[in-house]
Amino acid sequence: MDINLLFKIAAVGILVAVLHQVLVRAGREDQAMMTTLAGLVIVLSMVIQQISSLFNTVRTLFDL
Amino acid sequence: MADISKIIGIGLVGLIIIVILKQYKPELAIYVSMAAGVIILVYAIEELTGVINLLQSISNKTYINSSFLKILLKITGITFITEFAVSICSDAGEKAIASKIEIGSKVVIITMSIPIITSLLELVVEILP
Repeated sequence: MDINLLFKIAAVGILVAVLHQVLVRAGREDQAMMTTLAGLVIVLSMVIQQISSLFNTVRTLFDL
Repeated sequence: MADISKIIGIGLVGLIIIVILKQYKPELAIYVSMAAGVIILVYAIEELTGVINLLQSISNKTYINSSFLKILLKITGITFITEFAVSICSDAGEKAIASKIEIGSKVVIITMSIPIITSLLELVVEILP
């Protein structure tokens, strides 16, 4: 929950960027697009989990 | 002392990561800023529990009926979340969406604060001769 979430997102981002370059060099543009989208989806799911936990904390605390 | 340094630490680490990520993957920079914002907000909100309990205990002692305090707490909660969303949207460059969110939250807050306004008016009417 803490700082390592940021490091995870950074790691996924850089990995996806490197994979994209490698696949583009290898001539497979469509798979490069797939890996980029997959990376984005993974990061999005991680961030959305954190946002939902934030909303639940606020809801329970301020009894919204 | 540790709390503020933790918050600043998370913010700075997030900033560094965003600067690095911006060269390779600009679209992921928004996610990192969102994640850092969420972590800091959750941490800050957990600090608020003591304050809220204190407010509730004070309001029980005094004659202020607790429904007003409940509405006030709800409004602070709403402003917390809307400020989070507005800053993320304007950070990403979407000022239009940010202002729409702001307008929506203002509407919600006004509709929630109607009971307070009506009771205030009744009080004023009673006081006037």
